[in-house]
Amino acid sequence: MRRSIVFCLVTTLAVAGCGVGEKPAATPASGGKVELSFLVFETPNLNAAFWDAAIARASAKVPGVTIKKLVTPNVDRTGYAKQLDASGHLPDILQSVNPAGFAEAGKLAAFTDDELTNFIAPKAGAVDGKIYQLPYNTQVIPVVYYNKDAFAKAGITETPKTYKDLLDVSAKLKAKNITPFVVGGGGADTWADMYPLTGTVATDVYAKTPDFLTQRKDGKVKFADADFTKAAQKVADLAKQGYIDPAGLSRSYADTEQAFRDGKGAMYPMGSWFATSADNNKPGFEIGAFPWPSDDGTPVTPTFTGGGTSVSASAPNVDLAKKWALAFDEDKENNDAFVKLDGSIPAIKGYTPPTDMGPVYQATVAIYQQGMKDNSIVNAFSQETGDGSLPPGLADKSALGVQDLITGKKSAGDFASYLDDQWAKATQ
Amino acid sequence: MTEIQHGTRGEVDPAAPRQSPSHGGSRQRGAAIRRRASARIWPKLGRFGLFALPGLVAYVVFVLIPIGMTGYYSFTNRNPFNPPTKWVGLRNYGDLLGDQEFRQALVNTVIIAVIVTVFANVGGLLIAMLLDRPTKLYVALRGIFFTPVVLSAVVISVIWQAVLTDDGLLNSLLRGLGVDHPPGWLSDPDLALYSIAWIITWQMLGFCVVVYLAGLQGVPRELQEAASIDGAGRLARFRNVTWPMLAPALTINTVMLLITGFKAYDQIQVITNGGPGTGTTSTMAFQVVQTAFNGNHIGYSSAMAAVMLVLVATVSVIVLRLLQRREVTQ
Amino acid sequence: MDDRTHSWLRPLVAVFVGAVFFLPLYLVVVNVFKPGADIVPHPAGLPLPPTLDNISAVLSRPDNLFTFGLINSIAVTALSITILTVLSAMLGHYLARSKRVLAKVAMVTLLCGLMIPVPVILEPITGVLKTLGLMTSLQGLVLVNVGYYVPFGVLLFMGFVRSVPLELEEAAELDGASKLRVFWQVVFPLLRPASASVLIFLGVWIWNDFLTPLILLGPDSGTTVTVGVYRAIGQHQSDFGAVFAFMFLATLPILVFYLALQKNFVKGLTGGAVKG
Repeated sequence: MRRSIVFCLVTTLAVAGCGVGEKPAATPASGGKVELSFLVFETPNLNAAFWDAAIARASAKVPGVTIKKLVTPNVDRTGYAKQLDASGHLPDILQSVNPAGFAEAGKLAAFTDDELTNFIAPKAGAVDGKIYQLPYNTQVIPVVYYNKDAFAKAGITETPKTYKDLLDVSAKLKAKNITPFVVGGGGADTWADMYPLTGTVATDVYAKTPDFLTQRKDGKVKFADADFTKAAQKVADLAKQGYIDPAGLSRSYADTEQAFRDGKGAMYPMGSWFATSADNNKPGFEIGAFPWPSDDGTPVTPTFTGGGTSVSASAPNVDLAKKWALAFDEDKENNDAFVKLDGSIPAIKGYTPPTDMGPVYQATVAIYQQGMKDNSIVNAFSQETGDGSLPPGLADKSALGVQDLITGKKSAGDFASYLDDQWAKATQ
Repeated sequence: MTEIQHGTRGEVDPAAPRQSPSHGGSRQRGAAIRRRASARIWPKLGRFGLFALPGLVAYVVFVLIPIGMTGYYSFTNRNPFNPPTKWVGLRNYGDLLGDQEFRQALVNTVIIAVIVTVFANVGGLLIAMLLDRPTKLYVALRGIFFTPVVLSAVVISVIWQAVLTDDGLLNSLLRGLGVDHPPGWLSDPDLALYSIAWIITWQMLGFCVVVYLAGLQGVPRELQEAASIDGAGRLARFRNVTWPMLAPALTINTVMLLITGFKAYDQIQVITNGGPGTGTTSTMAFQVVQTAFNGNHIGYSSAMAAVMLVLVATVSVIVLRLLQRREVTQ
Repeated sequence: MDDRTHSWLRPLVAVFVGAVFFLPLYLVVVNVFKPGADIVPHPAGLPLPPTLDNISAVLSRPDNLFTFGLINSIAVTALSITILTVLSAMLGHYLARSKRVLAKVAMVTLLCGLMIPVPVILEPITGVLKTLGLMTSLQGLVLVNVGYYVPFGVLLFMGFVRSVPLELEEAAELDGASKLRVFWQVVFPLLRPASASVLIFLGVWIWNDFLTPLILLGPDSGTTVTVGVYRAIGQHQSDFGAVFAFMFLATLPILVFYLALQKNFVKGLTGGAVKG
């Protein structure tokens, strides 16, 4: 008898505890007519407080909307959005989710030209000419960040202008027992190993064939063609000569950044978002920045523009959701916060970043502005969205392939044909 | 817009006709059990048969039906991002034959399962014999060995990642001892799989220790003493007296370790993401999830899952048969 | 004889092996009570003086990731294991006693279910839950747990039921007790050690499961502590103090639960087999 009483107690206790969840983020200014869910991701920079404040600012501008904040379990928000969609719960508004696949399947709402008048690149990331993700910021991928102390120690006075210079610099560093490059990508952060290849693909493939991936889709080119194979070969050679330490392949993204901060390597090819992290939390040495050099020194500036919010086609009120998404991405203070915390370069007309930005950010923006002036902007390989991007899942596969390239398990030729195989599989 | 509706229909359709017959199947089976139960020779089991139903129903609804659905999907090109779903016959299975990555995931899974089963069994037995004393010290040590069993694989993964990365605690220690280039436990493609297997072994070791200890304590003292009076050496005593008595413990441990080995997923997801490189530490479960959720190829991933299920079922039946036969004959 | 001469050897070896084995766990425990800045330079040092900052930071998170997760975890785990213990005891008892072919078939089918990794059938499981209207609900998660873990409960109970003499049941029935009473008041209490094992094992597994609740609960209805650990890793990345504190707190309840039940646990696990 006592047993069944205990049993009942446990059960009622448990039932009473059912359904405890996160409360919707506070949105004081709204009347709360429509509740929309908003999927965000948290990182050390973009923490819960940041998102709550940014959401409140956008909601203040769009009356009638209550936002329910949803947080992804890790930074792979696109993967999580797919899982949610598979279980029939695609959130109404999504932050920085790659629209590939979602857009073609009609799961996202397209933004009209009128809605995009405030954006500098209103066609960036278009799918069949339509925009499904607001092109709210630009990133230069990669920028080569370097340790000025390490360069000085190796007697290097000038940043490399050509690819040969880069190899010379690496040789000098190596001679002083300094690992030239810090490249990471351990665990779930495999994507972090892509940056040298994104650099070489920009200089050796995209500079010549800007629409390489579109042509790949149409079957006009292959990864195994000479240009792309050469780009892969460059990365393989860097590793073979000991300029990239394969040890990095066990480092998570955060550990990789830490390794650069700890002086475990002199150059850190990374997206421009590293700039504010370097400024906000200065390591014990000065950091400089230069663009990834091409063979003959002609400037090539690989960038990605996009990365903003998307709206689900099945949101309870699509128009209102779009209005809210636009308010979120165009808000001056929100962009200031993105700039300060995540080093973004907003692509909103008339936007000027805060004047008190640090030197590494300034150097990074200078690289971008120089690229605009030289007209040397190309896509950043594997980062693209929309038409002319990799099919779903292929960016992950290439990041895994790059690990083989670095450990020497795959030759450049193997790597290129591996990508061709994976492309065929992904699109069958 | 019409396209969208088409798409969702395409997703739902194959599921709908499947579920009703399977439901019907479970009802039929339930009825069969009841009918037979009521006509039993031992009347006392009649109602107990009824008691058996809820558990079976839950199993059928949440395990067998999903397995059936997996089997059905494996003959389609189901992809939620690329509707409509079409019947493709055996094409997915044909593709699997030539799929290098899947073959590697299969081999990796078997390697992990074998390493975990062998090493945790051997290590568990040795440690159990070491701890087979009734004093407080040994009881406390038993608790220490068992703790990892209680921890989540996610927690274990985070801990071991901190220990095994290249600038991790183990390598710092090795460098301190004068090893210039300590191995890349997780970054070297030739080592990473074994590191993963080790982590799982470490977690399961305490389980084996506890089960073997229970087995050892079941060995009657008189038998041991009788054997030593007969002049049997330590090894002979172990072989002839202790070891046969441990047969049931061996069965339990082997089954549990195989289960754990074949299921390996969390550690891969948290620590290596299948790398370093393409598929070096990918397991079957990991490969299925990647294909299903990152590549969206539900049809193809279902074919993988089906192959895996057949394999796992065969192995478990064979192993159980072998071990139980040994228990009976002893 | 050997034991006498080497009496110092066994404890020495045992303590040494135990210490090496425990080292990774030691690293977590000491670093929970250490200020974040001290962890990377002195990972193995003792936390002197110890600080509770990491712990209180987890408890006072503005998003309540830990507190809500804890409540959900307790609800899901308690409900699942209570139902599972009862259902698998009934099913295990039937299968152990029945000599019918159908029961044998059911047994083999259940045993196969033991080795199926959840991820492999998770996609169709979401389909079933959607059909039943139970997706993203705690009830749905509990039911899936019940279906998925029933085979393990059955395996343990079956082994144990065989060691319970049939005469006891028959005697009770001769006294005129109903089947329900026979099972509930005679059989079930005798299975107590096995129940303890089932509660502990399934409690540990369900508490620690991360993929199933991650997918089945979705983001709206909150999450469990183990999913919270996974999320905390992403948020804090190399802030080991915060991650370890979260892990420590998330593990504590299940550890206490295990310690409370451990006496019966080994007996139940091996009782049927080892002693029988």
